[in-house]
Amino acid sequence: MGTINSAFSIISGALDADQAALSIVANNVANANTPGYAQETPNWQENQPVTIGGVQYGDGVSETGATSLRDRVLEQRLDQQQQLASSSGARLTALNSVQALFPPDSGTGTSAAGDIGSDITSFFSSFASLEADPTNNSLREEVLSSATTLAGDISNAAASLNQQSSALDQEATGVTAQVNSLTTSIAQLNHQIQTTSPDADAGTLEDQRQQDLSQLSQLIGINQITTENNGLSVTTTSGQTLVSEGTSFQMNSGMVNGVTHFFVGNNDITSQLAAGGGELGGYLTVRDQDIPSAMNALDQIAYNISTQVNTQNSAGTDLSGITGTATNPLNIFAQPATVAGSAVAMSVVMTDPNQIAAAAAGAGTGDNSNATIMANLANQTIVGGQTPTDFYSNFVSTLGATVSGVQNENTAQNASVTQLQTQNDALSSVNLNDEASAMSTLQSSYQAASQVFGLLNTIMESALNLGQETTVT
Amino acid sequence: MQEFGARREFPELKQLVAEASRALALLDTSRLEELALSCQALNQDLSTSGTEDLTRLAPQAREAAADMAAFARVLDVTRDNLHVMHRLRELRMGRLEYAERPASGWAPQKSGHGDN
Repeated sequence: MGTINSAFSIISGALDADQAALSIVANNVANANTPGYAQETPNWQENQPVTIGGVQYGDGVSETGATSLRDRVLEQRLDQQQQLASSSGARLTALNSVQALFPPDSGTGTSAAGDIGSDITSFFSSFASLEADPTNNSLREEVLSSATTLAGDISNAAASLNQQSSALDQEATGVTAQVNSLTTSIAQLNHQIQTTSPDADAGTLEDQRQQDLSQLSQLIGINQITTENNGLSVTTTSGQTLVSEGTSFQMNSGMVNGVTHFFVGNNDITSQLAAGGGELGGYLTVRDQDIPSAMNALDQIAYNISTQVNTQNSAGTDLSGITGTATNPLNIFAQPATVAGSAVAMSVVMTDPNQIAAAAAGAGTGDNSNATIMANLANQTIVGGQTPTDFYSNFVSTLGATVSGVQNENTAQNASVTQLQTQNDALSSVNLNDEASAMSTLQSSYQAASQVFGLLNTIMESALNLGQETTVT
Repeated sequence: MQEFGARREFPELKQLVAEASRALALLDTSRLEELALSCQALNQDLSTSGTEDLTRLAPQAREAAADMAAFARVLDVTRDNLHVMHRLRELRMGRLEYAERPASGWAPQKSGHGDN
C-alpha cells in the first residue's frame, strides 16, 4: 500500500506542478503585449526520493515558483543605445527647425523672405547699380530697400533662433519632472525588491523597474550599478547619483544668466547632461551648442557688414555734399557695439536715400567712386576672413553637414535599438538553443550586409572615378 | 525583359543603400542576401560595360553618398551589438559550465527511477 500511495503521490504532485506551470504560461500569454514584461519560466524541483526496501524511488517534481527570463547586461546595452537614439532624435528634430531658417542661396540674385544669401548678393549689387547713375533717386531707394530686407531677414532669423532656444529650454525643464518621477519610482521598487526578493528574481517588480529604467534612458543618459540584495543604483553618465538603492535624489532646475541650468543638490550638471544622452541631452546640445554656433555666425555677418558699410559710407560724400565724421557718421545700419547681439539688433537707421555717399570725399556729388568701393565690399574678406557670401554659404554647408551627421547617427542608433530588442525578445524565449539561433541571425545579417556594403562601395567608387583606379575619399 | 538595343537601366543606388540599411536594422538576412546578389550582378554588368554607364551612374553615386555613410554606421553598431551578444553567450555558457550545481533542484540524484 505504501508503494501505491507513493506512486499516487508522485502522480498527483506532477499534476500539481503541471498545473502551476500552466498558470505561469497563461500569465506569459496574458502579458505578451505588456511593455517591459519579461517572460517567466517555472522552476522545477525534484522531490526527495523515498526509500522502500533499501531501494530509492523518485518522488516526482514540484513547481517552486517562476523566474523571469531577463539578461541585465543586454537590457543595459539596450538602455544605453536607447539613450543615444533619443538624444540624436531630439537633436535632429530641433536642428531641422534651425536649418529651415537658413535656406541655401537661391543663386538667382532675387531675395526671398529669409533668404539671407540672396539678400547679401542683392544688397551689394544695389551699390553696383548705383555706380552707373549715382544721383538716381530710385537706385538710392533700392539700396535702402535691399539693406532693409537684409537686416530684417538676419534679425528675424536671430529672433527665431532665440525663440527656438527658449522652446528647448521649456522642453528641457519639463523633462526634469519626468526624471524625478521615474527615479522616485525606481527607488521605491528597489526597496520592495530588496525587502521581498533579495536573493532571486522579483518578477513583476523587476519588470516595472526595468520599464522605468527604459523610460529614464529615453530622457537622460544614465549608468546602472547593481548592488547587494538585488538592489540598483542609478547615476548620470557623469557619475551624479540619482538613485541609491531605496533613496532617490531629485534633479532641480534654476536660471543662470537667463538660461535654465540643472542641479542635483548644489552641483550644476547641465554640461554633463548635454553630453550624456537621452532627450534632455539632445535638447541641451542644440540649445547650448548648435544654436549659439548659428547665432555667432549671424552675429559676425551682421556686425561686419554693418560696420564695414557704415565706415565706408561715412568716408564718402552724400548727395547733399556732406561727408560723415566720427561724431556724425553717415550710418546706413544701426552701428553695433559688440559682435554678440548684432544679428538680433540689425536694422536700417538711414531714412533719407540722399545720405548714401556714392561720391568719394571731396569729389562732386555726381562721382561714383565710393559706391564702387561699397559694391566691391562683396568681394572683400570682411567676415571671418571670407567674403560675406562665402562666409554665409560655408555656415549653411556646415549646418547641413551637422544635420546630415546627426541623421546618420540617429539612423544607426535606431537600427541598433531595433536589433537589440529583437535579440532581447529572442533571449527571453526559453533556452540556449534559441539564443544561439538569434545570434546566428545577427551574425548572418551582419555578414550579408558587409558583403552588400563592399559591393556597393566598389560600384560607387567605379562610378565616381569613371573606372579609374583611384580611391574615393 | 530588356529589349535588344534598349538603354540599360540600373536600379537607383540611393534606394538600394537605404533598403540595405533597413534590412540590416530588422536583421532581415534573406533580404540582405537578395541585395548582395543584386549588387553582385550590377557589379558584373558594370565591369563589362563602357564608361558611358559609369558616367550615368556617377550622379546616383553622389546622391547615395549620405545614405552610404548611414549604412556604414548601421554596420558599425551591428558589429558592436554582435560583440556584445558573443560576450553574453560566452558568459552564459561559462556560467552553465562552471557554476556549482545547486544542492537541491534539478540536479540529478542517485535514484531508482530506472530512467538513468
